[in-house]
Amino acid sequence: MDRTDVALEALKIAIVLGALLNVTPIMVWVERRGSAMIQDRLGPNRVGPFGLFQSLADAAKFFFKEDIVPAGANRWLYTIAPMFGLIPALTTIAVVPWGRPFVLRSGRVFEPIVADVNVGILVIFALASLSVYGIVTAGWSSNNKYSLFGGIRASAQMISYELSLTLAAISALMVAGSLRLTDVVWKQTGYFVLFGTIKLPAWNVLSPAMWLSFIVFTVSAFAETNRLPFDFAEAEAELVAGYHTEYSSMKFALFFMSEYIAMATMSALITTLFLGGWDIPWYNEPPTFVGFLLSAIAFLVKVSFLLFIFVWIRWTIPRLKYDILMRVGWKVFLPLAFVNIVLVAFFIARRWI
Amino acid sequence: MIEYAVFFFFAAVAVIFALMVVLHRNPVVGALALVASFFALAVMYVLLEAPFLAALQVIVYAGAIMVLFLFVIMLLNLQKQREEPTRPLQQFLGYAGSAAFGIGLVYYLSKYAVMELPAGPFIADARTVGIRLFEAYIFPFEMVSILLLAAIVGALLLSGVRTEERT
Repeated sequence: MDRTDVALEALKIAIVLGALLNVTPIMVWVERRGSAMIQDRLGPNRVGPFGLFQSLADAAKFFFKEDIVPAGANRWLYTIAPMFGLIPALTTIAVVPWGRPFVLRSGRVFEPIVADVNVGILVIFALASLSVYGIVTAGWSSNNKYSLFGGIRASAQMISYELSLTLAAISALMVAGSLRLTDVVWKQTGYFVLFGTIKLPAWNVLSPAMWLSFIVFTVSAFAETNRLPFDFAEAEAELVAGYHTEYSSMKFALFFMSEYIAMATMSALITTLFLGGWDIPWYNEPPTFVGFLLSAIAFLVKVSFLLFIFVWIRWTIPRLKYDILMRVGWKVFLPLAFVNIVLVAFFIARRWI
Repeated sequence: MIEYAVFFFFAAVAVIFALMVVLHRNPVVGALALVASFFALAVMYVLLEAPFLAALQVIVYAGAIMVLFLFVIMLLNLQKQREEPTRPLQQFLGYAGSAAFGIGLVYYLSKYAVMELPAGPFIADARTVGIRLFEAYIFPFEMVSILLLAAIVGALLLSGVRTEERT
């Protein structure tokens, strides 16, 4: 660990954090323009070209709003709660690989991942499971019954869907034989050969045993990030604005940011586990800077596509009922995830994948 | 050197938040303090070169069990309660018992705890833990699963009886 290592590590952290923090303004714009497109409206189009600077104007506005703490609120927890929500969302991306490793001119290998730990996926689940505390604490400390309902719903929902999320991810880890996310991606860089002629990229989503867990994982990811059709923690038709009813100014903006950053992290995770990570189909990335750049762009394209799917589904499918959410989580997705693990184990035992 | 600094910082965090769990009047604050204490404990596991255990500690205790605790506390909507001690003898016995336990624990640890790491590489990754669990410790492992199964059956029975009465 000499000075160059420290510099490279700082560079990686800067890239990842910069990308994540810029996700929010861009995604707010995409969300508003996308919803306008879907609903046959115009959307924000006044500030800058195509309304692109609308998010910047909104951010500036947030800073000038009055920061209100309700009289009956628990002041300490009320202040800590937004940070509690943002920190896990920001740190999770550290263990996700976002490009092909390449050899620097000095012979050093540049691994485009902040921390390549051998329990990568578990770190993600640990931090994701902590993210619920931001919402729960916010809901409780506001001393408002709608906020409290939002917090209670969030905690029940997250526990329920975390199970199927984890179990769906396990199948991808079984195929790779490792908890390290770089191993999961490397495993997917090969090909499936159909009938001896058709070459398909060996992405987990295309594997005959894995598409089921892809579906379970994606739906659970929507529930984990509190996005429609599963946004029961806010449910503005029932709970005013749910857990952040009482929040204003930058405290509210932090919740807003953590929602979009959690979406980006989940998209990155779905990409890594099921869509081949940074792998470009039918192309062998060379271990050079060009190969790294192309693979990083491929990763970015996949994540952006998934982020757009998040927006698309939000404006297409209406919110479910709360009892349906719980029933589907425990009686459909959890058994499906279990069945899928057995299926994958069978495939591995027969050496089919 | 930096390991010592990290250790003492997070040891202090763990102890302070653990004390807060016991001493704070508000059950929600207590539950959140317990989460912080668990997290500090997970850092200890990382320092012991067992990141697998650290991750499990956070996922299982901080991530799942404490969320359930908070859910129940918030569902009951407990207000700040300050009950007068009604049974002074029992209270005294409680204090005395926990003090004796604490002193005994410190004494035992200072006398018998192993201060040096065993020789050889220390491996506690998922594979090693899994193999040990299913080979050497299969009997305790199965006992724990039977205990959990009994708890699940009990919970089902408790929640099922009420619906029968209603219908």
